[in-house]
Amino acid sequence: MSSYFLAWIVLIPLISAAFLGILYLYSITVKKISDKVFATIAITAPILSFMLGVGFFLGLKNGASEYIYEPYIWLGVNDYIINMGFLGDKLSIFMVLFITFIGSLIHIYAAGYMKGDDGYGKFFSYFNLFVASMLLLVLANSPIIMFIGWESVGLCSYLLIGFYFTDPLNVVAGNKAFIANRVGDLGFLIGLVYLFFYVGKLGFDYSALEQYIDIVPNHILVIIGSALFVGAMGKSAQIPLYVWLPDAMAGPTPVSALIHAATMVTAGVYMVARFHFLYDLIPNVGLFIAYIGAFSALFAAVIAMKQSDIKKILAYSTISQLGYMFIAVGLGAYSTGLFHVFTHAFFKALLFMGAGAIIIALHHEQNIFKMGGLRKRLPLIYIVMLVANLAISGIPPFAGFFSKDEILLKAYKHHEYLIYGIGLFTAALTAYYMFRLFFVTFEGKNYTEKKLEPLSWSMKAPLVVLAFGAAFSGFVGLPKVFSNTNLIDTWLGNWSGVSIHAEHYEEIIFMGVSVIAGLIGIAVAYVKFFKYDFSQELKEGGIVYNKFYIDELIDFLIVRRVRSLSTFISVVIDDGVIDKTVMSLSNGFINLGRRVGRMQSANTRMYAFFMLIGLSSFSLYLIFKLGQ
Amino acid sequence: MDIGLLSFIIFLPLVIAFILMVLPFGMKMTRNIAFVTTIVVFLLSLSIFFRFRLADYMQFREFHPWITTYGIYYSLGVDGFSMIILMLTTTLIPLGYLFLWKTKKSKGYWISMLMIQAGVTGALLSLDLILFYFFWESMLLPVFMIIGIYGTGNRIFSTLKITIYTIMGSLFMFVSILYLGVQFYNEFGVWSFQLSDLVQITTMSRTQETLLFFGFMAAFAIKIPIFPFHTWLMQTYSNSPTGGVFILSSIMAKLGIYGIVRFVLPLFPHQYVEFAPYFVGLGIFGLIYFGIAALMQQNIKRMFAYSSASHLAFITAGIFSLNAYGMTGAAFLIVAHAMATGGLFLLTGTIEYDLGIRSISGLGGIAKKAPLLTVAFALMLLSIVGLPGTNGFVSEFLIVLGLFKYNHFAGIISATTVLVAASFMFWMFQRAILVRTDNDVSKMKDLDIKEVVGIFGLALVIIAMGLYPHWFLYKIEPTIQHYLIDILKVGVGS
Repeated sequence: MSSYFLAWIVLIPLISAAFLGILYLYSITVKKISDKVFATIAITAPILSFMLGVGFFLGLKNGASEYIYEPYIWLGVNDYIINMGFLGDKLSIFMVLFITFIGSLIHIYAAGYMKGDDGYGKFFSYFNLFVASMLLLVLANSPIIMFIGWESVGLCSYLLIGFYFTDPLNVVAGNKAFIANRVGDLGFLIGLVYLFFYVGKLGFDYSALEQYIDIVPNHILVIIGSALFVGAMGKSAQIPLYVWLPDAMAGPTPVSALIHAATMVTAGVYMVARFHFLYDLIPNVGLFIAYIGAFSALFAAVIAMKQSDIKKILAYSTISQLGYMFIAVGLGAYSTGLFHVFTHAFFKALLFMGAGAIIIALHHEQNIFKMGGLRKRLPLIYIVMLVANLAISGIPPFAGFFSKDEILLKAYKHHEYLIYGIGLFTAALTAYYMFRLFFVTFEGKNYTEKKLEPLSWSMKAPLVVLAFGAAFSGFVGLPKVFSNTNLIDTWLGNWSGVSIHAEHYEEIIFMGVSVIAGLIGIAVAYVKFFKYDFSQELKEGGIVYNKFYIDELIDFLIVRRVRSLSTFISVVIDDGVIDKTVMSLSNGFINLGRRVGRMQSANTRMYAFFMLIGLSSFSLYLIFKLGQ
Repeated sequence: MDIGLLSFIIFLPLVIAFILMVLPFGMKMTRNIAFVTTIVVFLLSLSIFFRFRLADYMQFREFHPWITTYGIYYSLGVDGFSMIILMLTTTLIPLGYLFLWKTKKSKGYWISMLMIQAGVTGALLSLDLILFYFFWESMLLPVFMIIGIYGTGNRIFSTLKITIYTIMGSLFMFVSILYLGVQFYNEFGVWSFQLSDLVQITTMSRTQETLLFFGFMAAFAIKIPIFPFHTWLMQTYSNSPTGGVFILSSIMAKLGIYGIVRFVLPLFPHQYVEFAPYFVGLGIFGLIYFGIAALMQQNIKRMFAYSSASHLAFITAGIFSLNAYGMTGAAFLIVAHAMATGGLFLLTGTIEYDLGIRSISGLGGIAKKAPLLTVAFALMLLSIVGLPGTNGFVSEFLIVLGLFKYNHFAGIISATTVLVAASFMFWMFQRAILVRTDNDVSKMKDLDIKEVVGIFGLALVIIAMGLYPHWFLYKIEPTIQHYLIDILKVGVGS
């Protein structure tokens, strides 16, 4: 496989996005183009990229160490040269495979989900653009090129959250996402600038950075590592920059599935793994990351317990699961974190798409307390959602069990018992709130007697495929007690971090404890919600339901302060002080003129004349006095 | 007497303008001829771009005696820095014409536009200070007319304000130029106002140099504008017609920056280095100050005026950062900002043309009526907020890097640029363009084919410069190195 094709993995969806965009504009201004044309082009692009990805996967499997393609110099000032470059190594191809695989499925799903929408072509243009940006993010060979992808995925997220832009709520949510991400990107940029300043001269691709990272003093490394992680906080919705993600659910459900669950939000985890050579040198920052992850996991799970919007619950569960991933990468167990990225992509995409199917079937109802009794009416959705729920709740042998359990084991083995405790407790909470959602939605009495909207095959087929993924994808990373070859650890050997030795009996004990935690959560949910009585009015309110009033606090402390400052600057300082001074100076001259001579005509020629006099005399003065 | 390429570029629009003034053509004919003229000028400048030699510094020199008694020469030339601004000017103006096409202004409007172009390119290419001063002032006159005759609101007052304000600044510069001339005469016994001669003056004390430095800076600081000389800008921008504000924001404001680099830097290298910290500080302060002020503006043009001021402050910080990143980034941002702001003002102009002048809260729902306009608007906006993949990002990244090299703290503060513009631009976009409101926007028409060609041509350049910046930058870099190493002597590779 020629490394030249690396660029095409990105270019195919990019070209497709541009083409779809132009076609869409043509369609709405000149002549209507059928949805099928849009869908066919849009679905083809990620599938082609996936096939290229498989090609590189096979190449790497057969012994190639990495592929590098650098078509041109992106920027060169002084001796510092940054190439436009693509890197296909085991990490990036691993990311490419699951992004394009799940991306393709979600494209197929969206072809059904978005049917009849006015913005059908626009949607797929953005969707392809997102895939291209995400692929650029993971395939870039230098952090600055990665940053292009990094910010472009943020842009796509903005565009897709505000997809129905005539409603202010959606656009506000989009703006919020963009600004919160930008706060993170500010950190990322500062990290990049430090990095460039200290090692840029020796090359700015990852291999050069890895080679020369030792010359950077340790306290600078701490700054760089922390600053880059601020970027990850924004993109991967960790405390305190998580605020945008729940609101981002304003976008169409396939968007939530692809961008805000399976792929984009994991970019932060990928970034930390990509910079493992940096984070290996600063374990204290790593520990900080792990703690942020743990608290985000707990915090989001607590909020999720009280929400009633099906997509919001899933959004908080995403924040929570991302927290687990950061626990792993923070502790240096990069491959473990990526393993959870991998399994999570399957079951979370499945959860969102299942939720989307329910929402469509119920004519855009999102409140779980207005669903109920769907088990018999939507049997296929019931089965796939059950699989996904078991996976996220950590019940063996479903996918989430193995990856989550490995994270907890690593935390324990690193002697971070607090993190382990939080992780275990959160696992129980997760099982509780997910099965709360599940029981309320599928069991109980029918809340609505309305006829259900039929679901098309293009929505159902991807669900089945993903259900298999959610059920079995955990087998690529089996614990030693079951198998001697952990496929994920073998593939991502460079990212497996400090090797941890666990006896077989220890593994079994840990698994047992995890399963018990999950079962307790499910049991409590069963008792409270299996026969949920819908006649009771749901109590809404309280500090948890209102998400601890964090949004209101930010609005009060930051947004309003900045707005008043803005008014103060433009009205008081600019108009009141500066301009008034300027005008009073000029008025002073006019008044002086009125007294001195006949200048009330405001005759421009007279002004010019006086200027000339003033100028000449001043020049003469200079020439004779100073010029000698 | 042979006439060089640069003279053609300057005087072709001027000559055509005079011919049009005399001939009894109607508005449409005048406009068409003016447009063709700008295209010809664009082609001429393109040939300069491709024939530009990296190894040389000043090129395409033209040198003729003008007023020999006082050593005033007609002296022209172009280096990497002025070339990129020249390219920008000659590219943007015809694109702007495509947008101004439908404005049914009179013949004088188009003649004024040609004269502005002549004045701007003349100032850009002059290497004699008197000649420069001549062009510098002469571009004011047509601007004066365009705002005064075709403007809106309190237009006469705005016109007087901008004119008197800028002339006041220019007078300080003029006196300083004369003073330099006298100094040269005293030292060498002949008159000259050539830049290459005046830099050789050795007899001045530091105090004299400092006073003259500020004499020059007064003119440029008002033109840019640097805080606190900016209050004319907001008023003028909001009262100007589209063509006027387009030229003012995207081209004339940049000449202030250009003047500093072309004249102040070689004439007063010591002061340039000595006072750099203050201008870096003022620049970073302005970046944030103007950015915050922009947030609550109700008038779109006024918001863009603050946004421009914010970016120009950032550019100012960049050119005083005394290293190749900051200065190259500033040169790049001059281009990037001119394109994006110019585009935004043109698009705002079409909204004004269809709907009349309205505040942001009086708009809304335009996206549904005019999708092409919305896409174009969004693309320009993304360059302003510095999204990677656009030329805005490359320039901001380089300037932040340059300021960081200058002083870590300055670099970190200036990195907030990624937040400043995004906060007000997206909010404005939401309220004015996207969200549907009760306001009646039924008269809003989408872009026509000419406008589509113009604005998407611009957008393609913006993206090309973002994805392959090196192709545009490598021609500027030797010039910047020359400034830093040969003139400022701040060291190789800084």
